[in-house]
Amino acid sequence: MVNMERLIKNYSCGEITLLEIFEEIARQDGYVSFDKLNSLSRELRIPLAKLYEAASFYSFLPTAKQGKYIIRVCNSPSCYLKGSKSLIAFLKKELKIGLGETTKDGRFTLKKASCMGCCDKAPAMLINGKLYCSLNKSKVREILRGLK
Amino acid sequence: MQVIEKTRWSGLKVALGMPKRKVIERVKSCGLTGRSGSEFPTGLKWESMAKERGKKYLICNADEGEPGTFKDKFILDNNPKILIEGMAIAAYAMGIREAYIYLRGEYSYLKKKLERAIRESGPYIEGAGLEIKVVLGAGSYLCGEESALIESIEGNRPIIRKKPPFPTEYGLYGKPTCVNNVETLSYIPLIILGKWNPNLLLFSLSGDLKNPGVYEIAAGTTLKDVLAYAKPSMEPKAVYFGASGGCLPYKLFRDLPIDAKSVSENGAILGARSLIVVGQKWNAAEISKVLSEFFVHESCGYCTPCREGNFRLLEILNRMCSGKGENDDIAHLEKLAPHIRDTSACALGKVSTAHLLCGLKYFRENFVELAKGKKSIGLKEETEKCR
Repeated sequence: MVNMERLIKNYSCGEITLLEIFEEIARQDGYVSFDKLNSLSRELRIPLAKLYEAASFYSFLPTAKQGKYIIRVCNSPSCYLKGSKSLIAFLKKELKIGLGETTKDGRFTLKKASCMGCCDKAPAMLINGKLYCSLNKSKVREILRGLK
Repeated sequence: MQVIEKTRWSGLKVALGMPKRKVIERVKSCGLTGRSGSEFPTGLKWESMAKERGKKYLICNADEGEPGTFKDKFILDNNPKILIEGMAIAAYAMGIREAYIYLRGEYSYLKKKLERAIRESGPYIEGAGLEIKVVLGAGSYLCGEESALIESIEGNRPIIRKKPPFPTEYGLYGKPTCVNNVETLSYIPLIILGKWNPNLLLFSLSGDLKNPGVYEIAAGTTLKDVLAYAKPSMEPKAVYFGASGGCLPYKLFRDLPIDAKSVSENGAILGARSLIVVGQKWNAAEISKVLSEFFVHESCGYCTPCREGNFRLLEILNRMCSGKGENDDIAHLEKLAPHIRDTSACALGKVSTAHLLCGLKYFRENFVELAKGKKSIGLKEETEKCR
């Protein structure tokens, strides 16, 4: 669980920014829940709408519950040329979900993502902030096995 | 490469012994321009910052979201201390005591490394009276634009601000703020020591190549010479300049020097110097579809042309690529794309259709064969459910 008191204290003395509070919540809970935003709004006396409009903008701050592991496959042209499309198809088949969906057991969420700056080692994907590059099917299968 | 030279902090020492005015003068006279693609003279920005009084901020823009660009990551990963030294010199010259490095969320794994480099540089940056903090972004392309980046640090929805006032007058928390790119700041120590070679430029090369990576290329080198090292894995068809620079056919560009002038004379934009080499087997419409997906995902939604226009473009391109092209599809694309370019509110919206305009100009036959609806390149529509 997120230590909201500590986050709010750090924010009040100017050590962290609002964005960093959101990121910390997303890192620990997997998403930024409405309840958390609500309590932040009360504590910080910032309108809930303002917090929600900021948090909901970012792709790395989901506002709905996600899988334990969020798989983001890079969809930039460099990765596309190196086969990110078939990688996504493979992941869909392997996890039995579509893009933007979460597996029934709540372990994996599959997403397409914008360029992650790994174009020289394409195709690439991020799983909970960890980068995997120069991917192929057998590598992906191994990575998934390691996470299960 | 000049940018990976090991830091001995001698640039900072020399700078601290010089009057602030002289440091700015030197940066100005050497002709350094913003390396994010904007090419704004760095010295001029610093000069207007130095005139401002009271609290001010320095922000290092490490949010390189442009597809195909990874030169800043290369510096952050291999030589973060030269960046920190550059920031310390910049802060001294402009009289700044507080600085931020806005690191993109995709590079979160570099945050610890960067913070360690800052800790290790402690005595030196304290000598310049500076405090540096790393702020992590959360996956937004738009935050690479300086005013959106400032809104993001402030905790607001990162929508681009109207200019003027420019950040150098009204920036972070309403104070004058200087936003510089990683590569730009990393050259500062070398400039102070008189070791900087302005003719050497960093390029990110990717795509259908055997040796992709960051290359340092002398001004005036032709594409053919560069590709002799990067080794295409198949006969090249076109070169895309990131997502927002458009493209040029390989045949046309092969013998031209890779510089902003020769690229823009042919209707594309060099930008942040990322070259994505696309092989013969690809259809230009397919690449445009991928880039359209990117812009639909990253459009902030503030202005209608970019938000709705790109959405419609993607709809048409999806249809064409899945073998359901219609005869008037090209006419629609040709009407919509210039409209988005001319009426979008910010620079990112204005360049969001460059790939399509260049694609239609140079590879029209690719689009025509799909518009006839007879050929499918085996693409099924794949749209992620809305967030």
